[in-house]
This record gives sequence, structure tokens and C-alpha cells, in this order.
Amino acid sequence: MSRDADRRRLGVVGNSDDPARDLTSMGTLDCAACREELSAELDGEADPARRPAVLTHLGACPACTHWREQAAVVTRLTRTAPAEAGPDLVARVLPAAPRPRRRRLAARVALVAVGVAQIVLGALSLIGVAGHGGTMLGGADMAHMSHETAAWNLALGAAFVAGAYWTRHLAGLLPALGAFIVVLGVLSGLDLAAGRVEPDRVATHAVLLLGFALALVVSRTGPARGPSPAPRALAEPEAGPEPGPATAPPAPASRDHLGPVARDRPARREAA
Amino acid sequence: MDDAVITDAALAARDGDRAAAARFVELTQQQVWRLLVHLADHGVAADLAQETYERAFGSLRRFRAEAPARTWLLAIARRVAADHLRRRARRPVDPAPIQDGDEPLTGTRPGDVAEGIALRLAVDALPPDRREAFVLTQMLGLGYAEAAVVAGCPIGTVRSRVARARADLVEALGAGAENPEAVSREP
Repeated sequence: MSRDADRRRLGVVGNSDDPARDLTSMGTLDCAACREELSAELDGEADPARRPAVLTHLGACPACTHWREQAAVVTRLTRTAPAEAGPDLVARVLPAAPRPRRRRLAARVALVAVGVAQIVLGALSLIGVAGHGGTMLGGADMAHMSHETAAWNLALGAAFVAGAYWTRHLAGLLPALGAFIVVLGVLSGLDLAAGRVEPDRVATHAVLLLGFALALVVSRTGPARGPSPAPRALAEPEAGPEPGPATAPPAPASRDHLGPVARDRPARREAA
Repeated sequence: MDDAVITDAALAARDGDRAAAARFVELTQQQVWRLLVHLADHGVAADLAQETYERAFGSLRRFRAEAPARTWLLAIARRVAADHLRRRARRPVDPAPIQDGDEPLTGTRPGDVAEGIALRLAVDALPPDRREAFVLTQMLGLGYAEAAVVAGCPIGTVRSRVARARADLVEALGAGAENPEAVSREP
């Protein structure tokens, strides 16, 4: 290519009888290299060391001299072209921005503490009732019932600690935990009223309540999810094996895709 | 547009400052949008810009300001555009693209409009590599070094792509009509 360009230059200008000498001698540029320098010059990125060679070439090459003028026109045209204003995206994208971290970090640390407390409670109840036995209830004696309770308490403690670390999974814990707390709260109230349980025992359930509240804070203040699926992937279901009623209908016209996308994305719902 | 201001906004946004995040978007969204208009197309640029910011916010935690935030963001926008083009290429039925660029721009002289449209069409007709280098350096005003970071290539490559893009545009816009053989690509 550079040889072609050089030959072209020689053809146009005819300033040399020996192309080989032009290509090898110091400080000589072919047209392509010269134009690259001229282009860089227009951007203020020219290599000063090549400046003499460029001037030498321009002195002998009207085609490149002319090209420089044309390139300058194109450059000016580009830089003065009216820039069309794009849409304002701030409200659309802000929900994805990272959330304040300090409160969240505190909540995570507290959640670990609550998890540890819950594990300790579970372990204590295991030790405390180890000697009991006798009364059978629903096919298990009291010892086994308390084993089940202890296992559940230990599991919740582990879930709190793990959730404080893998915060993404915390949201999945909330429905089960919430239901558990509601049922336990109602039953505890009834048992307290009927004198079937000591208030101290019920008080230990406060740890669960605290853990739930902290889990809620951590999962609600979490950073937006990482790379999200492409807007189009949501608006236009892939021709895959899931034509369920839940998926949005394919956008009929390409111009209309903004509408369904805006409705589909949870991030934008927050913005509204 | 100050790179330092943008980078400061990005760092504050990383630490949860929502106002800084809004400022970061305000300061950069026009450039992101313009890049996407030229790398992908006008009709999807807004969606792709949104995806760019969502990706950027998602990985902001790992942003260490080793490069200016604007460069970092534009590199993400470039990947979003590349992903979009790849997805579109996989799609069996590709709807015919409608050129929004044909709409007249307001507040400009008729001559400017014609020139502007001719320029935009010529830029959009450039080969992708050259178009990318040209848009980054000429329309977004990036230096060659910054453009090289965004495009993930050596500076020399940006340099030669910009020069070739200019040559293509000189040819396409007919600026060399008076001296055709001077800009002809064939010997």
C-alpha cells in the first residue's frame, strides 16, 4: 500500500527517477505516512521529529498539499457540526447507582452479631433440655421437640451470618423468616396469655425480630445488581422455549421498544 | 468538560453519594449518547446509554481511578455497543434500520443542515474501526492516548485509523472533486 501510494505520488509529481532511493533515504515519507502526520497535526498530535520530512514531502507533492486543505475542511466541518442533544438519563439510571455504604456495613456487622447470638441460643437450648424426657407429643418426646427447635434456631443463626456475607441471598430469606416471625409472634402472645411460657423465653425471640429487621435493611440498601440483561433481551423474548404469558409481547415496531422496556425494568419503576 | 471533575464525581458516587452519581451522569451522558449513536444507531442509543450506566454503576466498586472516569465509562459504552451489535447479528430477522439522522436539526442554517447530514452519513459509512477512532477523537474530543485506552488498541493504531477515516471522508464528501486523482484510492 505504501509503495502504491509512493508510486502514485511519483506518477503525479514525477520528482524522482529512483523510487527506491525515495523509500530508503532518511527523512522521506510516502504519501500515506505523510497524510497520517498531517492528520495527527490537525489533532495536535503530530510527531515533531517527523515535521521536516513532512515539509519536504509537501514541497514536492501537490496532491498531499491539497489533501491537507481538504482534510482541514472536513475537520472543521466535523467540529462545528451542530451536536444533537441526547435524552436526559439521570432519572432513569440513578436507581442503579451505588447506595450509601456506612449504614449498610453497620447493619451487616450487627447481623453477624445477631446470627452468633441466635446460634448461642440454639446451642444453649440444646444443652439446657438435654436431660429432659418423658412426655410424648405427636410421636416425639420433649427432648426431640427441643432438638427440632434447636436445629431451627441454629439454622437461622447460620443463615444470618451467611447472609451478612453473601448479601445477595439475603432477600430470599425474608419471606420464610417473616412468616415464621408472624406465626411465632401470634402463638407466643397466646401462650403468654395462657401462662404456658415464661416471658424470658419469649424475650429470646426478639433476637429473631432484630435479625429480620437487619436483614431487611441490608437487602434493601444493597448495591444495584451487576451487569443486567440487555434491555432488548427483556423487551423482545428470544425465540426460545419459554413463550409463557408472563413475557412481554414482541415489540411490533422497532420504534416502540422503549415503552415496554420502561415498564419491564424494576430499576425504572423505582425512579417513577 | 473537566476529566478531574468527572473522576471525582465517580469516586464519590462509588462511596454512595447519590448527588455525585447524578452529576457524573449529567457530565458524561451527552458524550456516551453520541458515541453510541455512531457505534450502534440512533434508535437504540438511549437504551444502550442506560445499559452503559447500569453496567458502570455495577462495577463502580472496582473503579480505582487508574484511568480517568470518562475514559473508563466510554470503554464500557463501547463494549455495550459491541454486545448490542453481536446480539443483533445473531437475530434471524433484522428489521430494516430507520435513519433518524434524516430529520432536520433545529436552529441551524439550511446549509449547515445539508452539510451536517452529509457528514453524518459519511461518518456512519466508515468501516467500524475507523469510525470508532474518528468519533472518539473528533466528535468527543479525546486525545489519541485516551482514545487508545477506550478502544483497547495502541496509540499508533488510533493515529492511522483517524488518518484513514479522514481520507475516506475527504473522498465521500467530494471535497476533492477538483483534483480527483489526488485522493483516489486506486493507483
